[in-house]
Amino acid sequence: MHLVRRVSFVLALATGAAYAQPGPEQPTPAPPAPAPKETPAPPETPVPQETPPAPQNVEPPAGEVIVVVGRVIDVLGKPVRGATVTLEGQTEPIGKTDRQGRFTVKAPMNATLVIESKAFGVGIATVTGRALDDTVLLTEKQLGETIEVKGEGPPPVAGAAKLDRQELQRVPGTGGDIVRALTIMPGVVNLQIPLGYSGVVIRGSSPQDSKVLVDDFEVPVLFHNIGFKAIVPSETIESLDFIPGGFDVAYGRATSGIVQLKTRKGSEKRSEQAEISVIDGGLLAQGPVGSKTRYMFALRRSTIDFVLPALIPDSVDLSLTTVPRYYDGQLRIDHEINSHWNAMFSTIATDDTFELVGSKDENADSKRFFNRTRFARFTGVLNYNKGPWNVKMALSALVPQFVFEIGLYQYIRVNYPSVTPRFEATRTEAEAGGLKNVEWRIGAESQTTRSNVQLALPTEQREGDPNPVFDPKDTSQTVNRKIWTPDFAAWTSTAADFDPRFRVTVGARAEYNARPDEFLFMPRGEVKFKITKPWSLRLSSGYYSRPPEFQSESLYTTAKSEKSEQTILGAQYEPREGARLQLSTYYNDRTQLLRNQIDPNGKVELVNVGRGKTVGAEVLGTYRGGPWFAWLSYSYSHSTRIDGPGEKERLFDFDQPHSMNAALSWKKGRWQLGGRFQLYSGLPNTPIVGSVYDSDRNIYIPINGATNSARAPIHHQLDLRVDYSWHWGPAQMTAFLDVQNVYMNESVVTYFYSYDYSQRSAFKSIPIIPSIGLRGVL
Amino acid sequence: MNRLYAFALVASLAACTGDVDEQWFLDHDRVIAVRASSPGIVTGETSTLDAFVGFKGAPPAVMNPPLAMVVRPESLASSLSMNGGQWTVSMPDEASLVAARTELALDAGAPVPLQVGIAFPATTFPARTSTDPIAAVKTVWLGEHRDNPEITGIDINGVDGATITDVTLDYTVDTPMRIDASVNDGDDVNWLTSCGTEHDFDLEHSYIRIEKDDPLMGDLAVVLRKPNGGVAWKTWTIHVDPATIPADANK
Repeated sequence: MHLVRRVSFVLALATGAAYAQPGPEQPTPAPPAPAPKETPAPPETPVPQETPPAPQNVEPPAGEVIVVVGRVIDVLGKPVRGATVTLEGQTEPIGKTDRQGRFTVKAPMNATLVIESKAFGVGIATVTGRALDDTVLLTEKQLGETIEVKGEGPPPVAGAAKLDRQELQRVPGTGGDIVRALTIMPGVVNLQIPLGYSGVVIRGSSPQDSKVLVDDFEVPVLFHNIGFKAIVPSETIESLDFIPGGFDVAYGRATSGIVQLKTRKGSEKRSEQAEISVIDGGLLAQGPVGSKTRYMFALRRSTIDFVLPALIPDSVDLSLTTVPRYYDGQLRIDHEINSHWNAMFSTIATDDTFELVGSKDENADSKRFFNRTRFARFTGVLNYNKGPWNVKMALSALVPQFVFEIGLYQYIRVNYPSVTPRFEATRTEAEAGGLKNVEWRIGAESQTTRSNVQLALPTEQREGDPNPVFDPKDTSQTVNRKIWTPDFAAWTSTAADFDPRFRVTVGARAEYNARPDEFLFMPRGEVKFKITKPWSLRLSSGYYSRPPEFQSESLYTTAKSEKSEQTILGAQYEPREGARLQLSTYYNDRTQLLRNQIDPNGKVELVNVGRGKTVGAEVLGTYRGGPWFAWLSYSYSHSTRIDGPGEKERLFDFDQPHSMNAALSWKKGRWQLGGRFQLYSGLPNTPIVGSVYDSDRNIYIPINGATNSARAPIHHQLDLRVDYSWHWGPAQMTAFLDVQNVYMNESVVTYFYSYDYSQRSAFKSIPIIPSIGLRGVL
Repeated sequence: MNRLYAFALVASLAACTGDVDEQWFLDHDRVIAVRASSPGIVTGETSTLDAFVGFKGAPPAVMNPPLAMVVRPESLASSLSMNGGQWTVSMPDEASLVAARTELALDAGAPVPLQVGIAFPATTFPARTSTDPIAAVKTVWLGEHRDNPEITGIDINGVDGATITDVTLDYTVDTPMRIDASVNDGDDVNWLTSCGTEHDFDLEHSYIRIEKDDPLMGDLAVVLRKPNGGVAWKTWTIHVDPATIPADANK
C-alpha cells in the first residue's frame, strides 16, 4: 500500500499533474485550494546542468529501442545519485544515476522505467522520447507530510513576472511598497512619481489601458496622493503577478497589461503584527477560527499627517485645513465548506482626504483645494473542485466616491457603484481527442456601473494633447447627470499538448458594451514550444479592447472602445533551479484611440480617430537561491501615436526607450542587505515656445512647440536597504532602513514654466529619500 | 483627475524652487493689463486701447500698443483703426454685427465679442534678451455698453491709498492692504510689487513683507478686473523705512 501511494505520488510529481495543472501558460485567477492542506506552488522542474543531446523532432515508433536520457532528483531539486533504472517487469537494472542524477539507458519507446533508490524509494517514468522529464523521488518521511515546494512557476505569458510578499519587501528602494516595486518590472515606465490612476504605464500604453486587479477585480486607484504609497500594504498581499501583455481570454477591459494582486489568506497559526514608519503605521491580525476557517484583518493609517504641519515653513502661504491623511483596511475570510467546496470573502477599502488653502487665510475659497478619494470593494467567491472540474463563482461590489474641488468654480463629485458577477469553469483531462493535458475553460462576467456625476471642469486633457491653459474659471465641461454603463463578457479557451514539446492555446472573448452599443469579438492564442531542455519558445497573439469608461470618457455617447492587437515572441532559458532568463519582443498595434475633436463652434467630441504602435524588447533575469535574490531587467521600447487621419506621427507621452533595473538582496541570520541600481530614459515633453496674454481672463495661453519633441535626460540612481531582525520578548522584531538615491544624483524629471511661460524651472529628482520602519510580529 | 492632482502637487513643489519669477513680481517684462475705454460699446461709441506694461529694472508704465489687429471675428477687421496715435474700435453697422454673430454662432441680438490682439516689439523692453514680441489679447463687446471700474476703498496699512503716491513699509513687518472688491463674486485682483514679498497677491486683502535680501525700494500696483471685461489699475512708489532696518541687514 505504501509503495502504491509512493509511486502514484512520485508519478504525479514527475508529470506535474498533482500541482501544475495542465496548461498553466494562461493565468487562472485564484486557483481554488484542492485540499485542506496548504497548496504548494507548482514545482519547478529542475534541469540538468548540461544540455542533453538534442532530441529529434520525429518521435520513434512505439516499441522501437532507443537511447534514453533522464535525470532523477529529490523534492528540493537535488540530484539523486546511485538510483537504479529497471524496465518494468524485469529484475535486472539497465542503468544507474550518476553524480548529477543522470542516467542513459536503452529502452523501448513507451516502456515504463522503474527508478529505485535506497534513500528515496521508488518512482516510475514512461519513455516518451529520447529525453525524459525529471523524475522526482520522495523519502518515506516526505510522503507523510505536507511538502512545500519553493519554486517559480512558469510565467503565464512570455515576459510576465511574479513577486511574492517576501520578495516585494526585499526589493531595495521601494520601502516595501507595491507601487514602487512595480517599477522593477520590465516594460514598466519608471519615474519617481506614479503615473495615472494606477501608477503604472506598461509597454508604451496609457495608464488606463492596463488594469490593476485585486483578487480578480479592478480597483479604482492603487496609490495614495500623499507619499504615493500603495493602498494595499505588501503585508496583506500574497503575490504580485505582472502580465505586460498577451493575457488570456479571462481578462478584458484592457489593451495593454494586467497587474494582479492576490490578498493573503490567514495563516494556520494565530499571529498579530504591527508596523510603523514615518509615512504610516498598521496592524495585521490573522489566524484560524476552528479547523475550517481562517481570517486576515489589516488596518493602516497615515502618520505623516502628524508631522507634516511641523515641516512646512511658516513663510509658505499655506493652510492645511485637512492635513493629508489616509486609512486602509483589508479583511479576508476563508472557509472550507467541505472537501469540494470552499468560500472566500474579502474586503478592501481606502479613504484618502486632504484639503489645503494656498493662503494663511483659511477662508480664501479661491485658493482652496480639496480631494477625497475613497472606495470599498466587497468580494465573495465560491470555489468548487472535484475531479476534472474546477468552478469559481464570484460576486463583487464596488462603492467608490471621488470628490475634487479647486478654487471657486471647478469641481468633480462622482459616485459610481458597480456590481460584477463572474463565473469561470475549467475542465482538465490527461488525454482527450488524441491530445494530452487538455484544459478547457469557459467563463462570463458582467459589470454594471451607475455613475452619478456632478462636474464643472475644463475639457479633460488626453494623452498627447498640448500643454493646457490653466484657467481657474474654465468650466467648459459642466455635467450633472446619472449614467448607466452595463458591460457583458464571455470567454472560452482550450489548451492542449500536441506533442510533449508543443502546446497550443486558443480562445476567444466576446464583449457587449451597452452604452456605446458595441459587440466585440477578440480571438487570442499562444503556441509554446520546448526547443531543448533549458530553452522554450512562446508566441502569442490576440485582440484586446478597453471600453470608453475612463474618467470623462463615459460622458460622451460618441466614444467607442479603443483596440489593440498584440504579438509577443518570447524565449525562456532555465539553466538551473531558481534561475530564469526571459527574452521577449513585442509589437502592439493600437487602433480607434480616443481623441478630443473640437468643432468650429468650440464643442468638444470624443472620437476614435487615433492610432498608435509600440515595438519593444525586454530581458528579465531572476535568481532565487539560498540567501540570494537577484533581479535584472532591461526594456527597450518605442511608442508612437498618430492623432488622426493625415496627422504626423509623434512620440507617446510616456515613451521611455531604455529602462534597466538590477537588484540584489542577501539574507542570512538576522541581517538582510540589498541594493538596486536603476537607469532609465527621461520622458518626452512638449516645449513651450511663447505665450499670448489674455488680459480679460488674466491668463497666459501657451504657444506649444512640436508635440513631445523634447525629452528629459537619463536618470540613474542606487538604492540600498538593510533589515535587521531580533526577538523582543515574545515578539519578532524587524527594523529596516531603505535609502533611495544614495549617491544623490539629481536629474531633471520634467520642466515647469512660470505663469507667463517666459521662464522654466527644472523639476529635479529628489536627491535622497530615506525610509525607516519597524515591524513587530507576535 | 489624479494626474492633474499629481501635476498640481509637483507644480506647487516646483514653484517653491524660486528660480522663476512669481506672478506678483512687478520687476518683469510683460503686459500686465490691456484696457479698452470702454470695454463695451453701442452705436455711436468708440473704444480706445492702452496697456499697463511692466519692465525689468524699471517702473511700470501705461503705453499705447504699437501693433494691433482684430483676431476674431475676421469679418469685423475694419472696426479697428489708429486714431490720433491710439488704436480705436469703432462700432460697426448692424449688418456687420449680424454677420459676425453668424460667424461666431451667437444668438440674435447678443453682444459680439471683438477680440483684438496687441503686441509690443522686444525693443520696447530694454532688458529683454528674447527677440520675440510680447503679445496680448483684449475683448471689446459690441452692442452692449460696459464701463471700466473705479478703484475705490484702498487701504494700505491703515492709510487711504487714494490719497498717497508713496508707501513706506517697515522692515520684516507684515504690511496689510485691501481694496473694495470681491474675488468670490468674480472680481479679479492682483497686487504686484518689486519691493518685498507679496502674500495673497490675488485676494482683495493682501500683505507685503520685506525680508532679508529683498529690494528695499520699488513700485507697488494693484489691478482690478471685473467680470464685464472692465479693468483699472493704480500704482505707488514704495520703500522701506530706513529706521526699521537693523544695522546687520545686508542692505
